[in-house]
Amino acid sequence: MLETIPAAERAAVAPRSRSRLSRAAPFVAAVLASLALWIAPAFLDTFAVNVLTRSMIYAVLAVTVDLLWGFAGILTFGQAAFFGVGAYAAAMILGAYGATPVGIAAALATAVAAPALLGLVVGWLSFYHRSTPLYASVISLVVPIVVTQLIYSGGEWTGSSSGLVGFDVLPFEIEGYFRLAALVLVAVTLAAWILVQSDAGRALVALKDNEARCAYLGLNPRRLQILLTTALAAVAGLAGFLFANASGVVAPENAGFLFGTELVIWVALGGRGTLLGPVIGTIAIDYLAANLSGDLPFLWQLLLGTAFVAIIILLPGGLADPVGRLWRALPVGRTGQAAPALAAREAGSATSTAEAPILKVQGLAKSYGSLTVLEGIDLEIRAGELVSLVGPNGAGKTTLMRCLSDGTEPFRGAIAIGGTPTTGLTPNRIVGLGVGRKFQVASVFESLSVADCLRLARASHDGLSPLSQAPTLGLPQAALDVLRMTGLDRLLTRPTRLLSHGQKQALELAMVVALEPRLILLDEPTAGLTKAERTTIGSVLKALTAGGRIAAVLVEHDLDFVREISSRIVVLHQGRLVLDGTVDEVVGSELVRTIYSGGAHA
Amino acid sequence: MPEAARRSEPVGAALALDDVSSGYGAISIVKGVTLSVGQGEIVALLGKNGMGKTTLLKTVLGMVALRGGGITIGGQALSGLSPAKLVALGVGYAPQEQPLFQDLSIRDNLRLAVPSDRMLPGALERLFGHFPFLKERLGQRAGTLSGGEQKMLILGRALMLRPRLLLIDEISEGIQPSMVERLRKVLLAERDAGLSMLVVEQHVAFALGLADRYAVLKLGEIVDSGSAKASDARERVIDHLAV
Amino acid sequence: MLLLLDILTTAAILFIVSIGLLAIFGVLKIINFAHGAWLTVGAYCAVVTAKLGLNPWLALPLAFVVGAVLGGLAEHFIIRPLYRRPLDAILATWGLGIVVGQLITLAFGRDVQLTPNLFAGTVAFGGVEYSAYRLVALGIALVIGTLFALTIERTRLGLSARAVIMNETLARSLGIDTGRVRLVVFMVGAGLAALAGVLLTPLTSVDPNMGVSWLIGAFMLVMVADASFLALAAACLVFGAAQVLISTFVSPILGSIAVAVLAALVLRVSPKGFSRA
Repeated sequence: MLETIPAAERAAVAPRSRSRLSRAAPFVAAVLASLALWIAPAFLDTFAVNVLTRSMIYAVLAVTVDLLWGFAGILTFGQAAFFGVGAYAAAMILGAYGATPVGIAAALATAVAAPALLGLVVGWLSFYHRSTPLYASVISLVVPIVVTQLIYSGGEWTGSSSGLVGFDVLPFEIEGYFRLAALVLVAVTLAAWILVQSDAGRALVALKDNEARCAYLGLNPRRLQILLTTALAAVAGLAGFLFANASGVVAPENAGFLFGTELVIWVALGGRGTLLGPVIGTIAIDYLAANLSGDLPFLWQLLLGTAFVAIIILLPGGLADPVGRLWRALPVGRTGQAAPALAAREAGSATSTAEAPILKVQGLAKSYGSLTVLEGIDLEIRAGELVSLVGPNGAGKTTLMRCLSDGTEPFRGAIAIGGTPTTGLTPNRIVGLGVGRKFQVASVFESLSVADCLRLARASHDGLSPLSQAPTLGLPQAALDVLRMTGLDRLLTRPTRLLSHGQKQALELAMVVALEPRLILLDEPTAGLTKAERTTIGSVLKALTAGGRIAAVLVEHDLDFVREISSRIVVLHQGRLVLDGTVDEVVGSELVRTIYSGGAHA
Repeated sequence: MPEAARRSEPVGAALALDDVSSGYGAISIVKGVTLSVGQGEIVALLGKNGMGKTTLLKTVLGMVALRGGGITIGGQALSGLSPAKLVALGVGYAPQEQPLFQDLSIRDNLRLAVPSDRMLPGALERLFGHFPFLKERLGQRAGTLSGGEQKMLILGRALMLRPRLLLIDEISEGIQPSMVERLRKVLLAERDAGLSMLVVEQHVAFALGLADRYAVLKLGEIVDSGSAKASDARERVIDHLAV
Repeated sequence: MLLLLDILTTAAILFIVSIGLLAIFGVLKIINFAHGAWLTVGAYCAVVTAKLGLNPWLALPLAFVVGAVLGGLAEHFIIRPLYRRPLDAILATWGLGIVVGQLITLAFGRDVQLTPNLFAGTVAFGGVEYSAYRLVALGIALVIGTLFALTIERTRLGLSARAVIMNETLARSLGIDTGRVRLVVFMVGAGLAALAGVLLTPLTSVDPNMGVSWLIGAFMLVMVADASFLALAAACLVFGAAQVLISTFVSPILGSIAVAVLAALVLRVSPKGFSRA
């Protein structure tokens, strides 16, 4: 089934043994950290043990904030609310049933399940088609405020403003809590580390980077964001459970918006997107605060606030940024990412019945207010066709492409892909019908490597492992051809942002092709490319459609290119389809010449 | 200084581009364009969408960073001049994309184009000289004007500050032939009064009828140029433009 | 009648508190989380005025000037580097709010300060005795709203600000100094926030953290209003009414979160909020 490609294989073998070593490193580090923390209470005074227990619980929260904000790009103040709900759930149940095995189990289960449920609701509310990152932040502000007010109004249940105290707790000494918190922190951090290093972790970064591209790769950004919010709400609830037991008191402030902002401050100072930075930052700041704020409470807050403002403006990567740079400058730190071996994957046996059109557009019309952009468009495109869409400025070409790839665009008339009407379908579902769209400005994931971008393009077919990086990258032959012809197969580990403009265009094309679409939509695929790059893209497109299974529609202004590759040309003028024929029929048509000289008016 | 410069006799070309390159981010759009507009001359810059015409204008205006080569206006080198300075130097601009504040009144649109309210009455007088119909409609929202009327407002706004060099981006786009003819007359009258123009167009007939010289831009490079009055100019340009 | 007056005056107070934030969000597209700190600064201007034995109304111009000057500094040093990072700007202004709050604490202590009431007593109005100051606040809201509208509609600054909101590229290409417009708008917004702080002093206790409790409500109202001044007035009326009605008939605690929750739901249904109507 897998036909491996020797050259790429050989390139990938060398770093593999080394990568096995680096894969074990996090586990070794986690075990060492656990051991160190296990014996640490022996060397610390009671005050330090108490404070650090709390700090480590907060650090668990910082990890969740970092995953959301630093990796997935969702600035959240809401983790405090989930933490508070978990803490209160634990306190209320332990208070009612005592620290019996059943009581503890029920408390733990509720402390995790209740925040998860709330997280699901919050996620559903925050993320929807065309929601903005700002809206998610707004919701994350409202949630802790609502939770706090509910706690205030909870009367005897929640202890109102004085909180709950005196409930039964786990039968541990303070050292025991310290060790428990340490183990949970190490475990959560390790799990987060494994997640962000895995293929699924790349999807988080991809979401932050370019949500539209994710959707046009057939991934459902909303589902991922909601899932992440729910899961991390559960983790925050677990931290709340620990906190309630370790401190023996829960108060409304634990769920409040102010605590939510503190978490963000710790993560920012430690270094968002680094996991270890927020963990160390949180522990250091909280510990320092406990020691210093007794003596100079206001000055401490002032310093912290000033440092926070300065870090946000001058060092957005936090204190981990210079440390990380130093580390990478050392020989030990310079471990490159191993390139996955490329492998050809047999194309799915999509039995394309040649008679039925892949794309059928009937009476398509679209207007913005009183301005009509498209009117009465009828179009059928069959497998094997390479259709160029041309026309003067403002003819409606890009609008047509947008309607084809996004069913939530308000339009009249009908568009069907392989017989399925697309009205109301979000882009990711249209991708599921077999449509791939290449944007005019190359839309790739700037902070990922070439291989990661391609892996995400395959995610809707092959899934993504949340545990590891797959050692091979299976792509359809056509995508491999694009990579080979453009030399990208030798640049698999290169970060996308370092690619040239032409290489980015080629990468995006390879990603779209890797989706194994039946219909490829390309908006000015050659814009800004050199002559040689245009030729390459042209041959790729011709080869793709020549197989008779795929159709392509492109908007293009480079007429030599259009003439060379098209099997058919469709001319749009002032929102109407005025001509549809072979290259010979359209090129040199008097009507077309009149349109381009500016003479024709509808 | 700008005032003095405007009064003294200009030196050299109204606009000279020497091997100019520019673009956005990783993309280079304009690649080594050399082009000049003489005093009182109209040069038409033709080419299809995405070939770099608008980017070229924006480079002259300092809205897109110059990456290579040099630009002079009336002999003065442009580098790091703010749009406000360019206005003071006598550079007018009639943009194509979102050229008006649709929700503001016509008067407010014009007010925003003059450096101070004191200069507004004189500027309006010149505007009404070209387009008298605007006089009755100053209070109307700019968005309620028809497409052709909007183009006249855009052109009138650029002309009312008495520029010495006018950069025009697709002024004929999407409007009726009678309107196009009206714009042509205004522009030719201004040309005869000494105004120099660089006119970006896709409407070949209009551009060649207006201009003294033409140049065709393709993928950021000039691939053809010559006298607009040459008998084969139209055929040559359309060969570059049409399918 | 009492209910109606409560609704109108609550809406007026919400409007006064939010208008400075709206001005800044509208033009700069930046959410100024230091808004709460600006309110606090204004309230402490009232404290200082009282300590100096001056007429309490003098606190209004003082607060506006102090707020505007501090706002100018903040725009220059903190906001300007962050125009391209709007979410970071939220955080940086929040940090600025912490710094301002702590500076006030260092200067004045963390205790509640007493300020003279700007307008004491009650008046009989439509058959009920009603707080005179709340009625005055209603009048002040109308005055601020009118002045704000006139500035926006009639002055060159207002016109430039609207131009920047609608199409900054075009504004710049016409020669408008958009950087200066942003600076001045931020100063005006901060000044208005400080002014609001003075006007809050008769209604709430003055302490270094007083602004924070008003911040979220103002923020939500501005989100719903989406930079539109009239939409803000409408949002204040609707949500103010909801807050009063829920507080009266259901529970004061639920009333206190009514604005935030309703605004979040409105935004979920219609991302442009009230500005579309």
